[in-house]
Amino acid sequence: MFLREDGGLEGRHDVRTQARAGIAIRGLAKTFDVRPAPVKALDTIDMFVAEGEFLCIVGPSGCGKTTLLRILAGLETPSVGAIDISIKHEGRPLQSMVFQEQGVFPWLTTLDNAAFGMQARGVAKAERHAVARAMLAKLGLAGFERTYPRQLSGGMRQRVNLARAFANDPAILLMDEPLGALDEQTKMLVQDDLLKLWEETRKTVIFITHSLDEAVVLGDRVAVMSHRPGRIKALFDVRLPNALELRNNPDFIEVRRLVWESLREEVLAARGE
Amino acid sequence: MAGARNGDRSRNGAMWASIKWFLMRFGSPIVLFGLWEVAARNNFIDARVLPAPTKVAATIWDMIKNDDLLRHTGITTLRFLVGMIVGTIPGVLLGLTMGLFRPVRIILNPLVAILYPIPRIALFPLVLILVGLNETSNMLMIAIGPFFTMLITAMAAVMNVEPIYRDVARNFGVKPRHLYFTVTLPAVLPSLMAGGLVSLGLALLGTVAVEFLVSTEGLGYIIWNSWQVLSLSRSMAGLVVGALLGAACYLLMDWLERWFIPWQKSAKR
Repeated sequence: MFLREDGGLEGRHDVRTQARAGIAIRGLAKTFDVRPAPVKALDTIDMFVAEGEFLCIVGPSGCGKTTLLRILAGLETPSVGAIDISIKHEGRPLQSMVFQEQGVFPWLTTLDNAAFGMQARGVAKAERHAVARAMLAKLGLAGFERTYPRQLSGGMRQRVNLARAFANDPAILLMDEPLGALDEQTKMLVQDDLLKLWEETRKTVIFITHSLDEAVVLGDRVAVMSHRPGRIKALFDVRLPNALELRNNPDFIEVRRLVWESLREEVLAARGE
Repeated sequence: MAGARNGDRSRNGAMWASIKWFLMRFGSPIVLFGLWEVAARNNFIDARVLPAPTKVAATIWDMIKNDDLLRHTGITTLRFLVGMIVGTIPGVLLGLTMGLFRPVRIILNPLVAILYPIPRIALFPLVLILVGLNETSNMLMIAIGPFFTMLITAMAAVMNVEPIYRDVARNFGVKPRHLYFTVTLPAVLPSLMAGGLVSLGLALLGTVAVEFLVSTEGLGYIIWNSWQVLSLSRSMAGLVVGALLGAACYLLMDWLERWFIPWQKSAKR
């Protein structure tokens, strides 16, 4: 059985929550105080992400996916609820975020961009440069260390973004549509890069995307969010073998279809508002 | 044989490329000066009104030897530089502060809105009465243009910094008090540099205007005084030296830009 759907969170998950390390999101809600009326972005999110899991989140635009990720990244505070993280991270940062392509600093060279997280933590220059250089080489950016981002293509800039997060070596990676702006071919190549890196490091990843293919290719599980205010509508286990060959697997199509059925209702509902 | 011919061709190509580069860069002023020279020598234009470039050059040389032209140039340069510094630095600091802190911006914005659009030279009598008929009021006058330009540029630049840069820095653990140097300052540098170029022109304009009005020294004084005694070639000589001064400052700024914001340069190419 490669697929299991469970609607939201039942007791089963709570049992796992106690037993395993991971990220437990409990009763999380977020309301923005804006004029003319407050906007409720997230409504009672309950979810458990196990350590080492690759979770993809899809949902209609404006459903609060990014807000959820920003709360996890410490860039926003929740209005209600709590996040308990029981993943051990001695000697390394707890989480780093992979931003969209524009998040690369134009005034730093590729090398300094990749080493940025370590620099902020006060890692010595020689060491952080060595780590960043190795990570850039893994992502096919050897030889571009001294180049500024504007001289790079979009795909290369996005790999700089990945290198910056991976070189920081956090326990959790949070990714906000990091490949959204790339063309289809580049996107597939960077997805492969990302999977290879993840298989080496087995970090806990929460990955937001609006691409169903991407979610099914990359994720161990795919969470579908409802239209605003965002809730976790359904969770799909994607137990497909050999992620790198996945796109040619017939089961891939089937999973994709099921996720789309669930998501479609929400997209239509969001449009109807 | 074929290889040698190819070599010739590429050498020719390189030569052509450098000639083309030279013509593109300097062609238009050379043609302009050439036409001017020909027109003045053949009386197409009145050489008493618009003396030929060679004549102007000779006048400049004569004035360097006999009329302390270098001293006048030095005085103008000094006024311009002091005015530029006195205007730019507070302008940048105040603009950054207004951009970063909303209350400061709200309190000071009305003042800027009232003072900025006043034709600056119209303030000169007031400044002269308040500060006195001295070099200080001259330099204050010169400083006003760069001050407001840098204030407005810096404020707008800070407010337009992409929020994602601050998010990235915060997420990677940069402390709030370090955000300013890690993100804001590098992000606004290109705008500040562009504002600096505009300020440069304004400061030169201010310097010459002040020298027209009150000074007995400087290039502005030479230009205006020579015109009043109808010595147009001397007036023109003052103008040309002033233009050279401006061009030198412009090149200096260009060079500074390469040093301070190398990422911008590489993007332009």
